[in-house]
Amino acid sequence: MKALHHKQEICDGCRECEKACSKAYFKREDRDYSAIRITNNFNTFHAVMCTQCGECINMCTANAIYRDKNDVVRIDKELCVGCLGCVGFCTELAMHYMDDLMVPFKCIACGICVKKCPEHALVILSSQA
Amino acid sequence: MGRILKSYNYEPGKIFRGYTGKSLYINVGDLRIEEKEVTQLMKDKFIGGKGFDLYYLWKAVKPETQWNDPENEIVMSCGPLGGITQYSGTGKTLVAAISPMTDIPVDSNAGGYFGPLLKFSGWDALELQGKAEQEIVVFIDGNKGLIQIETAEGLAEDSHILAEELTRKYAEDEKDMVNVSVVSAGSAARHILYGMLNFSFYDPRRKTVRFKQAARGGLGTILLDKKIKALVVRFKGINPNLNDVADIGLINKIGVKYHKEMRDLDEKQNGMRKIGTANTILVMNKYDLLPTRNFQTGGDPEAVKISPQVFIENFLTQGIHDGCWYGCTMSCAKTADHFKLLTGPYKGECVTVDGPEYECVAGLGSNLGVFDPQAILEENFYCDTYGIDLISFATCIAFIMECYQRGQISQEDMGGLDLRFGNHEAVLELMHQMSRGEGFGPMAGLGIRKLKKVFAEKFGADPQLLQDIGMESKGLEYSEYCHKESLAQQGGFALTNKGPQHDEAWLIFMDMVNNQIPSFEEKAEALHYYPMFRTWFGLMGLCKLPWNDIVPADNHLTDIPARVPEHVQNYVDIFNGVTGMQIDKAELIRQSERVYNFQRVFNLRMGSGLRQHDKPPYRSMGPVSREEYESRQDLYDKQLREKQGLDPEKMNLDEKIAVTRKYREQQFELLTDAVYKRRGWTKQGVPTLEHLAELGMDLPEVVEVVKQYL
Amino acid sequence: MIIVNTQEHPWHEGMTVQVLLDEKGYIFRHIIVRVNGEYVAEEDWARRMIRDGDDVVVLHLTAGG
Repeated sequence: MKALHHKQEICDGCRECEKACSKAYFKREDRDYSAIRITNNFNTFHAVMCTQCGECINMCTANAIYRDKNDVVRIDKELCVGCLGCVGFCTELAMHYMDDLMVPFKCIACGICVKKCPEHALVILSSQA
Repeated sequence: MGRILKSYNYEPGKIFRGYTGKSLYINVGDLRIEEKEVTQLMKDKFIGGKGFDLYYLWKAVKPETQWNDPENEIVMSCGPLGGITQYSGTGKTLVAAISPMTDIPVDSNAGGYFGPLLKFSGWDALELQGKAEQEIVVFIDGNKGLIQIETAEGLAEDSHILAEELTRKYAEDEKDMVNVSVVSAGSAARHILYGMLNFSFYDPRRKTVRFKQAARGGLGTILLDKKIKALVVRFKGINPNLNDVADIGLINKIGVKYHKEMRDLDEKQNGMRKIGTANTILVMNKYDLLPTRNFQTGGDPEAVKISPQVFIENFLTQGIHDGCWYGCTMSCAKTADHFKLLTGPYKGECVTVDGPEYECVAGLGSNLGVFDPQAILEENFYCDTYGIDLISFATCIAFIMECYQRGQISQEDMGGLDLRFGNHEAVLELMHQMSRGEGFGPMAGLGIRKLKKVFAEKFGADPQLLQDIGMESKGLEYSEYCHKESLAQQGGFALTNKGPQHDEAWLIFMDMVNNQIPSFEEKAEALHYYPMFRTWFGLMGLCKLPWNDIVPADNHLTDIPARVPEHVQNYVDIFNGVTGMQIDKAELIRQSERVYNFQRVFNLRMGSGLRQHDKPPYRSMGPVSREEYESRQDLYDKQLREKQGLDPEKMNLDEKIAVTRKYREQQFELLTDAVYKRRGWTKQGVPTLEHLAELGMDLPEVVEVVKQYL
Repeated sequence: MIIVNTQEHPWHEGMTVQVLLDEKGYIFRHIIVRVNGEYVAEEDWARRMIRDGDDVVVLHLTAGG
């Protein structure tokens, strides 16, 4: 299973990852449109993003969430009806939505942010699920 | 199969803030298809959903119209909030017609996809009038803007096959099946008066068609009487803002908040995601409320055999989404998959059973003295596929069983069926007879009100006893609660518009357990507020379960926790967010009051709707028989001492029963007085002209009817 | 003697909220308990003692069905 991992000890909170993500998928630098969100807790930086746990797959009310061939959890935009059930149910708070979008969005472990991180605090790891 | 009799192309109305602005009229007799404008008056006074249904039905029928006259209409509408996907329980269709059970308007609601897909196809409401010459299927394609009336030859009779056939036929491919919804009845609905409507939705995980029902009042019987085999709608392209709402941000925010609540609290509260409404079986049993053997007692030690745990462990599929419309994270529509049938025409086949819901387990289980979960699920399946209203069936058969047990009718009278309590083989055989239109089936399908007459006239049964134990009012069978110790709930069932059901008020805990509403005025307030509040769901296209089958964590800190104030505010906000209007909680109640009073006047217009029509049978109010009195002797004796100042030691059993009855009947009359007063009605139950004017419902046609009774 | 939902109920030594709920058969999961007007959270039911003369309210929270 492919998933994005964050090394808390070396992250300096520059949030380049957020910019890279929102720019890649929504053509703007706006963390509200980023699938990774860095939070600052007394200068310790924590990353909120999908762990690819897949809890949202079975609860999806439109059967629109699935694992792709890399076992990454994906939303089928054709099937998704924008009910936001997954947003409410995600225990990681890693499923996001914006009012101008028709479907929620999440980290799909694409690695774009990994390349942009100046501290090399992000990495895509593959594991046996 | 399927010759096209009529084809009609239309430009789908554009939805704006919850309304398409158009309704569809189809006369299946002369194949007329018309588009009607939804007027501002309709939106202001009738809102939508059952309000629109009743509005059109009033115009369609005359005071003397019978249920099987061609002018009787089946009207369907899903309401302005129907079809939004962000909040749970937003896919209901409201259906109304003049009922074969009650001869007055009945309204019934169902989940499934039909209503929202109908609206997204361009129609705020659908009227079906006339009678077809031969059996037909009505198909609406909302993407193509096409309505087609086709002949129905070669199609199956029973819903689980018929709806699957039609879903396959009208879907473009496998993936498109979720975009098709079918309304159908079933083989038994041809032979009984309480035939119901199945509303389908395709479950892509189970790869099967599933159903929710608009079950009450014989709507399926009317559908087949009109020779409509099925209605089919297809619409592809569901998205979160097809309603073109005024404030999508508000809707999204409330939706996510609610989904979080469901995630965090459901398991601690009612477990709706695990078991659905059947979670309450053991609770009802413990609180002496589980109707057992025709509502004689409120429970049985054997109830553990039909407990939620038994169904969860042995039958129900867990862990996948089970909603009947998109976005419902309450997900209470449980199924038993790969369920092997042991009787009937589909014996040996493995099927998916939608259920069991609470009413099913209580009605087909304890109330018939059946404590066998396999049998209950099989009865559940056949009720659904044959198109039988499970509640009317259960309550009616419970009545028949007690008549038999008390020697009022014989086995021979029932065509040889040994319908004693607990004999589930006989119950299933009766269902199959209803399907085939043979034996005792059609007679048992008349419902309690008509059977009382038949049993007395044909079989010499005691009319007074039949009146006392037959659990119907206005001609409709009671739903499944043994509520005789709750005066407020006696009113909650009998002081209703369409007959006794649990759609209007459920006050048993508040009244009988919490003792929160001791005075007549307090009971009357509850019998005003709750029926009005709950009517609102029917105007909107909403399911009421998400209102209070889960509550916010801090609900206990609110003024009136039973009302779930935060959720009521959610509904106000969603209404405003969709329509762009600015209502508050008081106006929400007003919206319902308008339609509720209109329906009351509609009853008057059809020759009902007066105090004399609001009477419950005594079984609903107190102990009819010696055994019933004895089963709660301590309670009843205590009441004689404390409420009437009598000494039960000095009275024999029959005296105690008689005195208790007199007292309870008086109490009900006093309750009726208080409720009518609170609702703005005369002592005879007629809405006053002042009250109608205050509500803005003094429409000329309404005033004309009311004046005859003042 | 104590009062439970406006009705008298016999009191005995060692009565906790949980003991009282068991005696009354109040198994419904969705209830609110107040003793002399004070809210008692579910995690305290087993510990919270009820004294003779207390006024207990056990609100069953549903107007559903």
